[in-house]
Amino acid sequence: MIRARALDVVGTLARLGLAAVWLVSGALKAVDPDQTFVAVRAYDVLPSIGVEVVAAVLPYVELALGLLLLVGVGTRIVAVMALLLLLVFVAGVSQAWARGLSIDCGCFGGGGAVDPGHTAYVQEILRDTGFLVLAGWLILRPRTLFSIDSRYSGRT
Amino acid sequence: MGGASRNDKKRRQDAASQRLAAAGIEVPVKATANRTPLIVVGVVVLVAVIIGAAVLYFRNSSSGTAAAPTYTASVSGAVVTVGTGKVVVDTYEDYLCPICNQFEKRYSAQIVDALNAGRITVRYHAIAILDPSSTPAGYATRAANAAVCSVAAGIYPVYHAKLYAEQPAEGSAGLTNEQLVTFGTQLGATGDFAGCVNGASFTKAVTAETQKAIADPALKNSDGKFGTPTLMIKGAAVDLNDSNWLKNAIAAG
Repeated sequence: MIRARALDVVGTLARLGLAAVWLVSGALKAVDPDQTFVAVRAYDVLPSIGVEVVAAVLPYVELALGLLLLVGVGTRIVAVMALLLLLVFVAGVSQAWARGLSIDCGCFGGGGAVDPGHTAYVQEILRDTGFLVLAGWLILRPRTLFSIDSRYSGRT
Repeated sequence: MGGASRNDKKRRQDAASQRLAAAGIEVPVKATANRTPLIVVGVVVLVAVIIGAAVLYFRNSSSGTAAAPTYTASVSGAVVTVGTGKVVVDTYEDYLCPICNQFEKRYSAQIVDALNAGRITVRYHAIAILDPSSTPAGYATRAANAAVCSVAAGIYPVYHAKLYAEQPAEGSAGLTNEQLVTFGTQLGATGDFAGCVNGASFTKAVTAETQKAIADPALKNSDGKFGTPTLMIKGAAVDLNDSNWLKNAIAAG
């Protein structure tokens, strides 16, 4: 019983932590759309129309994921979406690194080309890995406290 | 197998639950695959996508008529002054800078309208801070030089727009001098435009203007650095995410 409770607390922290990550990164991107456009373009993977669409939609999708995690609706499915999105980000940063592009990931706003000496690919990927762990936990064990899910599952 | 055996099973389950109920035991109804969270998640994500698409649509629907520019330009150092309006807008742009291109796409029609109507004066400061971002380095300076050259060639407003329309990617070689000259010729450059572009006539002026801008404390952004695009009106930086900045500036006189 105590162990289950402790796991619930860990899950709750993971859920709220991941919610904060998405809300902050989504908000920073949403308030500066030009910067977001440049950040997406700098990855140099999409054609220009794709860059426009991704740069416009991504901030709001991130905010949506953050909001859903914050209130705890459909935690497992949201965690799956978060995991997939994070994997896309890691792939983006990795390909930029492998191709020797000098960019800032633009993970929390900002982003674009930077001086070759100022890239931080390792830190960016490590940070994303941390977020992946949070998402992974919630996929394996989506039960958390203070969530709408728990209110309707008949247990608290 | 079919409906018959399934009905049979159902009947036995009903009978069992009736016996339990008779014995005063309540069996909690197990929610069979509650789809509500899935639907909520789907709706919220869909709304997010729609908001993003709407923002994209409205930001790209420029309110200018994009009439052809009718104003003429004059040059001093590497600062190109156009228009005769009361409101003076200072712009600091680098022709290799992607956000400058975004800025031009979004606002150039409004700016051209305001210039044609004589409401504003724009001082385009030709800046080259992205020289290291082309391979080989130096496209930013070559492009800025060509833009200043285009004033004497009588094609400044359209050539300025052309350089953004043809903006090369950061990290690429950039446009060659030959291409820079060809664009000018296509747009009707007069005089020795090719000589000015190839002779790098304004390179020193561009470098000096760039140094001056970098050193100017009034031009530093919130990070304490100078970046492009920077716009100044009456000594104050313009917030380019406010899509009404130009209207407001004109209204304020």
